Amino acid sequence: MKYRHKKNGELDLFKIRMSDAKLLRDAVTAISTLIDEGTFVIGPDGIKLRAMDPSRVAMVDFAMQKTTFDEYASDQETKICLNLGELLKLLKRAGKDEAVELYLDEGTGQFVITIRGKYIRTFRMPTLEASEEEQGLPKITFNAKVTLTTDGLRQSLEDVALVSDHVRIETDGEKLAMNAKGDIMGANIELKKGSDALLSVEATEPSKSTFPLSYLSEIVKAAVATSDIVTLEFSNDMPIRLDFKQTYDGTLVYYLAPRIEVE
Amino acid sequence: MPFLNKRFIKKVKRQVPWVEHIINNERTAGDLNVDSSAINVQTHEGSLCLVCRGSRMLCGKPRCPAILKLYSLLKTEKNVNSERMIGSSPPGVFIGHIGHPHVYAGPLVPPVLGDTSVYDAPEQWLGKTVDEIIGFRTNLIRAKFRVNVTKPFKNQNFVEKTLEITMAREPVETRVVFKKRPSGSLLLDGEVQPMGPSAVMRNMEIETAKFDAKIERAYGDGDLRAEEAVMELFKGGVPVSKIQRAFSVGAFGLKNQRRIVPTRWSITAVDSAISRELIDEQVKGKPLINEYRVYEFNYLGNRFLVLLTPSSWRYEWIEAWYPGTVWNPQSQNIAMGADWEGYHGRTTYASIGGCYYAVRLAAAEFLASIGRQAGVIAMREIYPSFIVPLGVWINRESIREAFKNEPCKFSSLKDALDHVRTRFAVSLDNWIQTSALLKDSLYQERLTKYLEK
Repeated sequence: MKYRHKKNGELDLFKIRMSDAKLLRDAVTAISTLIDEGTFVIGPDGIKLRAMDPSRVAMVDFAMQKTTFDEYASDQETKICLNLGELLKLLKRAGKDEAVELYLDEGTGQFVITIRGKYIRTFRMPTLEASEEEQGLPKITFNAKVTLTTDGLRQSLEDVALVSDHVRIETDGEKLAMNAKGDIMGANIELKKGSDALLSVEATEPSKSTFPLSYLSEIVKAAVATSDIVTLEFSNDMPIRLDFKQTYDGTLVYYLAPRIEVE
Repeated sequence: MPFLNKRFIKKVKRQVPWVEHIINNERTAGDLNVDSSAINVQTHEGSLCLVCRGSRMLCGKPRCPAILKLYSLLKTEKNVNSERMIGSSPPGVFIGHIGHPHVYAGPLVPPVLGDTSVYDAPEQWLGKTVDEIIGFRTNLIRAKFRVNVTKPFKNQNFVEKTLEITMAREPVETRVVFKKRPSGSLLLDGEVQPMGPSAVMRNMEIETAKFDAKIERAYGDGDLRAEEAVMELFKGGVPVSKIQRAFSVGAFGLKNQRRIVPTRWSITAVDSAISRELIDEQVKGKPLINEYRVYEFNYLGNRFLVLLTPSSWRYEWIEAWYPGTVWNPQSQNIAMGADWEGYHGRTTYASIGGCYYAVRLAAAEFLASIGRQAGVIAMREIYPSFIVPLGVWINRESIREAFKNEPCKFSSLKDALDHVRTRFAVSLDNWIQTSALLKDSLYQERLTKYLEK
């Protein structure tokens, strides 16, 4: 971990202002469930981050378009790597209806967060060495697509977590089933077409795949604050894609690798 | 048995009926020829020991743990037969946890003068026999005083002297006057660690001790947080048991936040703090090892195996208690317990106990020393010949020792597990069933397999 103290000539100043810090705070919370340090790419169109967790089991793909912000100025792409835990601590200091401003102090290489409310608070935090590699996306053909309420998914996962540490997600195009089998207990959850929690379900062929709850529950718990509706895409024994619909112009997508059970 | 005192037997009979069975043994009878009021024998209701009386080996262990402890305790008893005692504290202290925050604290003093340092230095115990180790423990007489952990200044005289003992570089000559003669307590239970006799102190005097310079410096720094002090001392090469001892008497931390910490909690606190720091600063982010490795060490009826996997930091500790004997209804099955953490660590206390953190320290220390990252699955199989629990140190030191040996290296998880299978009596399926990390390695896929090239 090297702190960048010197001025880097290639970096260009950017300045961002958001009148409601909550959006940013919830997004960082959702990302930090998978990674400790993240490289944000701040470009002319908005902010992006894509990264795998250290075990390479899950990936987060996040984007926030510039229209989300009240003020957004960035001429070229800047990569900023930050400790998300520290960033979150600072963002949490912003109360309701307080505006937050972000910029990079090129002289010191520090990331500067200004919170404007009843009084003005300025925090500085070091930037870390950004990864140069661009993270690719998994390439998967999905056979099933299910849209449901985020809260419905969260509650279902809480139910199955009582009996097991992994869950099998299954659909035949008519309903979504979540099955868990523990050592001595089992759980079965069915969401049928027309139920309040299930908004749509389609499948080109019956599909099922098993996922670790340690990841899935954490992801859903972290994203629930940002989103009411989630779309799941999966196939037989393939990674699942969870697309949490954001209230702003942006994306919050996770990929999670399956557990292959030997029966 | 000509020298057996009849009156005495009756007395014993009345108090502890089971002892009559072992009294046939001349040596035992001789040992028992002390005022038996000094030993208080207790047992649990329905305990196997009451049926067994040390003769039938019902617990399935090759030697009776209770008798082993009794011998050791009796030997110590003979050396402390008055209210005054003088001895060299190794240095050692013990802080109880019962009644927290009002606990019994005080120095551990053996009835021996001279170099007693090994008595309370688990780092030096590896390779000793179980008799020797029980001897170290029961020989330490616990001189105690009541203290409120948050208000140590209320008992300043005793606290300061105890603190001086913990900071000493060498054994400290200690004179203690007890309120009444120390008495031992023998709990008839194979699952409880042996302890020496104890008594409340009336007075305590110590010789001027030579302090360990590093510990003294940390003690003098009222702006140094406790975890920082612990880490600094560890990096400076101070043995973990010494750090833990000073920590328990409240030698470290911000000036007005120092407090006394019960021994069993302080051991875990120190193990946990050091290993957490090592993992975050010196293991995470380092290159992965290139192969699967299995390290092994056997000691006192325990087999320790550590499987290192080429993956990001994760850690699991699994214990398997082998059934004592097949006809013992209480342990027909192997009892297994495990706890684990992923890359981000855990937020709750490991249910399996302090050993989890002791072993994590040994593992983190090793990975930091080779500058590599790995997944760690540490396994311990416990056989009936492991008679008495001896404390978490046995796990820490045995795993440290395992890492000193050459590992067996494998190119695949399957080969590594095939090797593990041949080393353990418990079947591999049982290990896999218990282990969250083994299951993860075997069944959990990685996204890397699906990335666009």
